[in-house]
Amino acid sequence: MIEKSPKTARGSVQCENTNIHLLKANDFVADIIRKEIAKTKTLLINVTSSPGSGKTTLMQKTAEKLKDKINMAVMVGDLETERDAERIRETGIHALQIVTGGICHLEAQMVHQVLDKFDLENLDLLFIENVGNLVCPASFDLGEDYRVTLLATTEGDDKPKKYPKMFLTTDLMLVSKSDLLPYLPFTLEAVTKDAREVNHELEVIQISSLTDEGIDEWCDWLVEKINDKKGF
Amino acid sequence: MHETSIVNSIMKTLELEFEKEKLDKMKSIHLKVGILSNIEPRLLHNAYSAYHMMHPEYSAVTLNIESTELKIQCEVCNHITQIKNYRFLCENCGRPSKNIIQGEELLIHKVEFED
Repeated sequence: MIEKSPKTARGSVQCENTNIHLLKANDFVADIIRKEIAKTKTLLINVTSSPGSGKTTLMQKTAEKLKDKINMAVMVGDLETERDAERIRETGIHALQIVTGGICHLEAQMVHQVLDKFDLENLDLLFIENVGNLVCPASFDLGEDYRVTLLATTEGDDKPKKYPKMFLTTDLMLVSKSDLLPYLPFTLEAVTKDAREVNHELEVIQISSLTDEGIDEWCDWLVEKINDKKGF
Repeated sequence: MHETSIVNSIMKTLELEFEKEKLDKMKSIHLKVGILSNIEPRLLHNAYSAYHMMHPEYSAVTLNIESTELKIQCEVCNHITQIKNYRFLCENCGRPSKNIIQGEELLIHKVEFED
């Protein structure tokens, strides 16, 4: 996306109008990832949320429900530790940890580096569990087909507008920990209204990995997208 | 953290884009940063100052950051609305829209060199 105008001299200063996109390098790699997963028809989902909203637990739950029907794997980003990948592996699916060493988001380059560690030819679904953060991950395209954002009921129903870029760029909002709703001043109506004022196309599913509420609906959503990608 | 990696990618992008002799004459960098890009100009300036400690060759190059407001253009009535409070609605016809025409950019807009 480089649009250059001819060099123009102004006084003693030479000036170049560039309009170079600063994340050009990231977007270039994201396109490479998109092309690779298009070849194998693997559905790539970028899962984002703030820390502790239940991404890893949802990955475990999803693996339990779907691993016998579809081939799935997870790459998970964290600043430190292998904990999340270990938890996901316990369910019997392949999981790889990307330790960012302090970086607050995953970049396309990091995803591309580990992509060949997965048997994409035989993989229907690959999750990228992003670093827990609703700010920076919003700006980095990872070549995903869909972006899914969890928002736990404990976080408060006023969050979408505080992190507008994330909710603008996400396709599905999973309102997690719905089993805690009776104890919290949180309503699905309020959070949906706030999020849809930013993104009117946003889909919303209320889930609880503890009671299984909404998990079937979430799994159906995934299977539908997998089938779409495979052209069934 | 985020701002530091943005500064690194600005400088890397410029090093890829221009010859070394040209970069030696670089005088100023102008950025256009949309309100949705999650970039705080003041923090970016701080990160840029910190970058100079490692790269003194650029310490005379000034950084200018222009923030841009968020605007959408309605797909139905073509009206352009400046978004306030992140309500993505056309002010003319009231329809929701995600057709952002300004406010998401993260651009090196202009670079000036000594002649």
